[in-house]
Amino acid sequence: MILSVKERGQFVATIRWVHVALMETLAAWVPTTPEMEVKLLFGEHVWDLAQHADALGKRTFELRMPLQHSLRPVDAYATLLDEIAAVRPTAQRLAAIYDVMLPAVDHRYRRYLDETDSLIDAPTVRILTRHFHDMERMRAAYARLRDELPELPREEPAWGAALRAREAAIGNPVAQPSPASAEA
Amino acid sequence: MPATVAIGTKAVRGVEVRDDPAREPCFDIVHLHEDVPDSGGMDREHRRQRLHRDYNQEVQTIEIAALCLVDFPDAAWDLRMELARQCWDEARHAALIHQRLAASGGRKGQYAIANLDWSVVAMLDSMAARLAIQNRTFEAGSLDIEQVAMRLFREAGDPETAEVLDAIAADEIHHVRFANEWLTRLTTEEPRAVLKIATAIAWLKRVVAATGGDGLHEIPTDHEARKLAGFSEGEIGEVARLAQTVNGAIARGQDR
Repeated sequence: MILSVKERGQFVATIRWVHVALMETLAAWVPTTPEMEVKLLFGEHVWDLAQHADALGKRTFELRMPLQHSLRPVDAYATLLDEIAAVRPTAQRLAAIYDVMLPAVDHRYRRYLDETDSLIDAPTVRILTRHFHDMERMRAAYARLRDELPELPREEPAWGAALRAREAAIGNPVAQPSPASAEA
Repeated sequence: MPATVAIGTKAVRGVEVRDDPAREPCFDIVHLHEDVPDSGGMDREHRRQRLHRDYNQEVQTIEIAALCLVDFPDAAWDLRMELARQCWDEARHAALIHQRLAASGGRKGQYAIANLDWSVVAMLDSMAARLAIQNRTFEAGSLDIEQVAMRLFREAGDPETAEVLDAIAADEIHHVRFANEWLTRLTTEEPRAVLKIATAIAWLKRVVAATGGDGLHEIPTDHEARKLAGFSEGEIGEVARLAQTVNGAIARGQDR
């Protein structure tokens, strides 16, 4: 089965919403995280996430949606992201982004690529494929920081595992549009 | 629920400003410019002090750009992209300055720091006011300062730091330029933004008066950098005239 233009647009707009939320989360953590090196890591990755959102937002326009359009995901996903944004300890912040959310986004991209037609949806495929490289670089930067600063606090693996399980349990993050918005 | 930054306010000499952003325990945070070590001259110790101040300055600039992304989620996407890019630029600048600090035998937390730029700008409640104060005033001022600093570091036998400052200045020109462009757009679309900017400038003067801020030292206006950053010839002339007037007043005051 081929994903329709509407289904592809909804996925792209939803994942754009997620990238903007993650960008804002990292931005909010810059002034409230004490470790200078971690602030710099977040500052760099604010830009990566903004670029991802921007590329996805240009694609929404090509899929009959407004330019830079975002769709709020299902409540469970939005709630999870809210809870992550509220995390305070540096160790949990790092785990939530680099051990949970970036791999989770990577996984959702791959699931989408398995479903979409690589020729019909080639522009989306190109965007997501480029983002794989960026997300790998972001996680590598985090791993380097860990090597350079072994004293950086580390969260218990069980905490990240529980968060990862919650994310995975959500299933499709795309919220079903109401009949009114479906017609819009 | 959108992301928020839960940092309250503090009083500095009777003026309410934003409380400090988070810092590691190794830092001794002070609240007045005069309490930040600055021994003057360009010997090794002074160069370390300067790099330490600049390191914290760059970090504050990331924090301010990041805060704009959080506080103004409905700002135009293209402007948010500029601010997100600025977060990365300032992170690179901080890393570069930290490298130079380490190369000169320094370390983070070696000297006391003040976060006055943050404390002022993070109080402002409009994007236009923040761009006017942070990018168009503080960063434009740093364009002038960096030209002088580059020469001083070269003369002190530290061309590597001079090169780093030159690279940083090139990035800063764009940060001032995009602010100039967006201020024109914001004030055209919403004339009330001009009032916000005027109020912010008056507020800045109050804080500078209370905290004993730098004001304008004997730093020549960097005509070329300001032109690249989008200032008109008239505006550059006005900055140079203002600097002369203030410096003249300071000199007259010192003569008394």
